[in-house]
Amino acid sequence: MEASPILDVRNLKVDIPLTDAVLHPVRGIDLTVARGETVAIVGESGCGKSLTALAIMGLLPRNARLTSERIALKGESLTSAGRKRWRQLRGDRIAMIFQDPMTALDPCYRIGDQMREILQQHRRVSNKEARQRSLELLGKVGIPSPEDRLSQFPHQLSGGLRQRVMIAMALLCEPELIIADEPTTALDVTIQAQILRLLRDIQRETGIGLVLITHDLGVVAGMADRIVVMYGGEVVEVGACDDVLARPLHPYTEGLMHSIPVPGETRQGQTLGFIPGVVPRQVGELTRCGFLERCPYAHAKCGAGPIALRDADVSDGDDRMMRCVLPADGSGRSPEAWVRDVEGA
Amino acid sequence: MMDDVLVMQGVTRDYPVGGAFAKKRTLRALRGIDLTVSRGRTLGLVGESGCGKSTLAKVLLGVEEATSGTVLVDGHPIESYGRIERAKLIQPVFQDPYSSLNPRMTVASIIGAPLQVRGEGTGDSRRKRVEEVAGEVGLPRHLIGAYPSQLSGGQRQRVAIARALIGEPKILICDEPTSALDVSVQSQILNLLHRLKQELNLTMILISHNLAVVHHLADEVAVMYLGRIVEHGPSQAIFDRAHHPYSSALLKAVLPPRPGSRLPELGLEAEFPSPLNPPSGCPFHPRCSNDDGTTCHEIDPEPSGTSHTYRCHHPDNFTQTAAQDQAPAD
Repeated sequence: MEASPILDVRNLKVDIPLTDAVLHPVRGIDLTVARGETVAIVGESGCGKSLTALAIMGLLPRNARLTSERIALKGESLTSAGRKRWRQLRGDRIAMIFQDPMTALDPCYRIGDQMREILQQHRRVSNKEARQRSLELLGKVGIPSPEDRLSQFPHQLSGGLRQRVMIAMALLCEPELIIADEPTTALDVTIQAQILRLLRDIQRETGIGLVLITHDLGVVAGMADRIVVMYGGEVVEVGACDDVLARPLHPYTEGLMHSIPVPGETRQGQTLGFIPGVVPRQVGELTRCGFLERCPYAHAKCGAGPIALRDADVSDGDDRMMRCVLPADGSGRSPEAWVRDVEGA
Repeated sequence: MMDDVLVMQGVTRDYPVGGAFAKKRTLRALRGIDLTVSRGRTLGLVGESGCGKSTLAKVLLGVEEATSGTVLVDGHPIESYGRIERAKLIQPVFQDPYSSLNPRMTVASIIGAPLQVRGEGTGDSRRKRVEEVAGEVGLPRHLIGAYPSQLSGGQRQRVAIARALIGEPKILICDEPTSALDVSVQSQILNLLHRLKQELNLTMILISHNLAVVHHLADEVAVMYLGRIVEHGPSQAIFDRAHHPYSSALLKAVLPPRPGSRLPELGLEAEFPSPLNPPSGCPFHPRCSNDDGTTCHEIDPEPSGTSHTYRCHHPDNFTQTAAQDQAPAD
């Protein structure tokens, strides 16, 4: 582990009390991000990845309860930070890039005004300096004729340009950490590649820590150093990007990999693997493996008690963790397990 | 030609824009589409947003009328069918199963609605048919009486597919059928669509920006750019040797979830042009890596090739001899 990671989160939990029960969408997550590192949080909708991001940003909805052993940004503990401290940090030390730039930007204000507001919130700068800095960043993220853009409204820009503006805004105060929640899901594939490149180049240049939240394993493959796979509010697998993609250890990761058609690898019409069932509602404490109902390899041991995240002792990668009782050497697995029950709905 | 279920000839569609405050202009969403789809084939339609894919789907569904050109469905012009007759032939499956199903209707009444609207059969026979179709698309029996809010995304999309299929249409138009779904659910819907297309000999138009989905289901691929088809051919040919530089770029943009893959360099740095003011000559030239600076700026390329057609002055992926054969046509 690095001497001082940019982000260090220990045992992060989010509870949401409802009238009849308490939801546990995030059940104790550990996450560290080093300088210049890209960590991808992967999982399907409902697995808790977006709430994890919001918790790290101090942006949880009011009815949600956050507990954690430690949330530290560059060594500064934020576990007991008040709203004021969070306001100082957000946009300055931590920035976030949202999925849909149209809803994240304010439609009533010009791009230049929105950028100036962020700068003046955190720095003592004149309007002129703010304009200079905004221009510099719009140029850096590859926006043509940045001067004209400053006086435009978000609706006058295309989706790709809006996402570039979002990235420029995230970079305004030179943050240590950027959290990007599905940054390219709303964009065309052609724009997606450009935006991902831009994010990666900026990160390499500045050494920002990047948390990339996505459900798209293709995006992860091109971007991430490390992958954290989440399922049902828990981390089920951790490892270096290439190791996880080459040899997924947790059955959930394995199932995801088998469900994706890849031109040139899967044949036309080949029956694809899938994960039967749906993500269960996260109510009550887990008394067994959370993936049990959907797992083709499930056996008696899986129902005996909660499964711990353990070190997977594998030769081909360091720091690999898995939350599964199956052996890490891949024995007893088969791709057919995922297509067995074709119309299993 | 009996087996061409769908024929489009020189189809255009214009929309007036502007008016009260801005100058009145015409947006040409479709600029001359020629397309033939044979019975039982699946055509994948790909392109960026704004290229006219969805307008084409609307014209095929009869929701929008073509400004000029002809659309023949099963040998007859689409205008010659009444609303209900047309609905018997062509049915859509939309992208978002959260908004395409009426939240106040039960699954049974949603699936049975097409039959009820047409007044086909009795209540009993309709109910039987609904159960049959629900079984066909893999919807569990106990969900027949449920409301959409009680279903998962994948189940909702199955309901939408069942509703489209209950009237036994000849053509199914799927507009991004899996983009709103998680990958593990997407694969189930792809499996289902593939099985149905084989069992029912369905003709399918599959609109998607996800090339992997198109590769998985389509027999043929048509690539659209600014209201026109710039390349059209058998799926395998396009995926192996795309001729149009735009198709090549789209193919490169597919990110495979494999170790060691890198972010692709597409060479599409310029923005997608405004359909209100399309570039001169070849409309793709401002973004094209093969742009020669003269011909491409002045002359709009006509379609070349026979079974695999493309509109380009300097196509990719030709062997030396093929390129020479091609030269006189430039």
